[in-house]
Amino acid sequence: MSSTAGQVIRCKAAVAWEAEKPLVIEEVEVAPPQVDEVRLKILYTALCHTDVFFWEAKGQNPLFPRIFGHEAGGIVESVGEGVKDLKPGDHVLPVFTGECKKCAHCKSEESNLCELLRINTDRGVMLSDGKSRFSINGKPIYHFLGTSSFSEYTVVHIGCVVKINPLAPLDKVCILSCGISTGLGATLNVAKPKKGSTVAIFGLGAVGLAAAEGARISGASRIIGVDLHPNRFELAHKFGVTELVNPKDHKKPIQEVIAEMTDGGVDRSVECTGNVDAMISAFECVHDGWGLAVIVGVPRQDAVFKTNPVNFLNGRTLKGTFFGNYKPRSDLPSVVEQYMNKELEVEKFITHKVPFSDINKAFEYMLRGEGLRCVIRMVDE
Amino acid sequence: MSSTAGQVIKCKAAVAWEAGKPLVIEEVEVAPPQANEVRVKILFTSLCHTDVYFWEAKGQTPLFPRIFGHEAGGIVESVGEGVTDLKLGDHVLPVFTGECKECRHCKSEESNMCDLLRINTDRGVMLNDGKTRFSINGKPIYHFVGTSTFSEYTVIHVGCLAKINPAAPLDKVCVLSCGISTGLGATLNVAKPKKGQSVAVFGLGAVGLAAAEGARIAGASRIIGVDLNPARFEEAKKFGVTEFVNPKDHDKPVQEVLAEMTDGGVDRAVECTGSIQAMISAFECVHDGWGVAVLVGVPSKDDAFKTHPMNLLNERTLKGTFFGNYKPRTDIPGVVEKYMNKELELEKFITHSVPFSEINKAFDLMLHGKSIRCIITMGA
Repeated sequence: MSSTAGQVIRCKAAVAWEAEKPLVIEEVEVAPPQVDEVRLKILYTALCHTDVFFWEAKGQNPLFPRIFGHEAGGIVESVGEGVKDLKPGDHVLPVFTGECKKCAHCKSEESNLCELLRINTDRGVMLSDGKSRFSINGKPIYHFLGTSSFSEYTVVHIGCVVKINPLAPLDKVCILSCGISTGLGATLNVAKPKKGSTVAIFGLGAVGLAAAEGARISGASRIIGVDLHPNRFELAHKFGVTELVNPKDHKKPIQEVIAEMTDGGVDRSVECTGNVDAMISAFECVHDGWGLAVIVGVPRQDAVFKTNPVNFLNGRTLKGTFFGNYKPRSDLPSVVEQYMNKELEVEKFITHKVPFSDINKAFEYMLRGEGLRCVIRMVDE
Repeated sequence: MSSTAGQVIKCKAAVAWEAGKPLVIEEVEVAPPQANEVRVKILFTSLCHTDVYFWEAKGQTPLFPRIFGHEAGGIVESVGEGVTDLKLGDHVLPVFTGECKECRHCKSEESNMCDLLRINTDRGVMLNDGKTRFSINGKPIYHFVGTSTFSEYTVIHVGCLAKINPAAPLDKVCVLSCGISTGLGATLNVAKPKKGQSVAVFGLGAVGLAAAEGARIAGASRIIGVDLNPARFEEAKKFGVTEFVNPKDHDKPVQEVLAEMTDGGVDRAVECTGSIQAMISAFECVHDGWGVAVLVGVPSKDDAFKTHPMNLLNERTLKGTFFGNYKPRTDIPGVVEKYMNKELELEKFITHSVPFSEINKAFDLMLHGKSIRCIITMGA
């Protein structure tokens, strides 16, 4: 056991006191882990758009003060009662959606939507006692997605912690705990393009480029990237994208443009924007008879997906996915291995690096649409 | 070779002269088959709702006079040039959608939507020369979906004929050339329920009952039939349906009712009505994480299918199917074998039987919702 086991740890955390205000590096107290919980020392973390979305808290139930962050890599500091699968020193990725291994979803081969630990964006406390493990002068600071990785130490439910190869460089694989796996899995686990097939990717942010990377790994012959921002096209080629289409450049609907380019439609499409019109286009641009469209991007509350039902009757399939359909504890370690054996390339997603004290720069880059992933190092280099 | 090979055959056919009017048994001339065509002697045929729909011709491009009929069983009388896969005496099921075996769709494992021969409800002539093989006093009578089985003899493209086991009783297996296979395949080939899973079937007509039969064969533990007509439930029990839900009996949407009955949703749903509302309910009633909904029924209106995209993101799958995803020539003979080895039961679909001269009774029965399948016996 570490020397801090069982004790409160005082450390730095980036606290969001109010919606949309820069995070403030504060000294926080992190309570020891309770039953089925693990306390982690975070070494590297990255910003994902979902952090930004809930930090902006537009039209949601705002919960502040809060510690955001859910893409990270770290080391186990101590474990709570009942935890057998992890011990101090293990290298781990915390994940915003968990795997209890007992519910019907965890037992199903097909689902990763654990009943106990599936993503919950409203909850800001731990399940075992309904309280937060973070405080400043006794005042609670709320958790986010059960991870709160913008802190030197955090407490996470065992079901949300993935044990990985200790040789994997945490400053790289930390980004596998959300966005990259989401896109990669959407292609590899759900769209499953055959070697030589054609794939369209809607949205060329980190998730879309990860989906393209999945298509590249699968041996797709054409990977057509669709985005409204021409400045995203430059990076896309590194991820296997062979052609680029900007809907703004065409009068006719983009699904028709794509159908013309591909003799009737692509074999697979993966939608990574969250825009419902893009979802509809992604569905309608796949070939009849065998086409499959996979929806990844999270839509607005009032979105309505609409299409002519004949598009289903003539053999198109529509699926949605969550976190790339990866079961976090069962499947992520093998994604790390895909990186270790050089099948999957991760470095090209990391366009910026900042120290923890400059965490707000990561927000600025994302809000300006600059770069893909900014890795925040908690430790000094 | 048959004695009539190469000659025009004069025989009886039930001709629809006008939309919605009773068919008239006429003597027609049936020309010999051209390249890639086959002339078939029809022994048994049945009525499918698609025949009725195009006979009613409401709001479509009407094409009359026409010979309807596309569910049938027959024997090859003669073949045209280039036909090597079939010969005189072969037992066949004509199918309204074909398989050329050469296009991308035919070569794909996943598709049965042949580029050349997929269903075409507008066309009333043969592909080879753009003309019909039927005439009365030189006046053309149009084909329907390339089959036109309400005739003692018909001419069909070789790609639209499934060669089957000659020991199979044609008066039973004729129903496999459309509706029953459509529903059966929707379940067995597309929804693919695992043994012990729960399945909801929307619409308990022949197609829905065939989908239920598929779920029974697959070993589903619960088969929940959904229909607005309570009279259909009793019959449905013979097809494996274990519970019945009538949306009219509930205030809340039927997908919520089904979700409550099944601890979050059924594993599979198969939609066999063509109602947009039912399609949406069928999709939204499947369990998150693993549920699959399959749309079968053809919509009659232009309404859009609508759902909240979150229903997709929480890992539901939505598929559509056409003719049960069966490739007609490659797969239908295997379905006939399932009947022959008693895995699939067909007799229970056949509720009525009439001689050819009384073919209009079959229409009456269907229009009054009183039958599942009515077999029409030719040559009687």
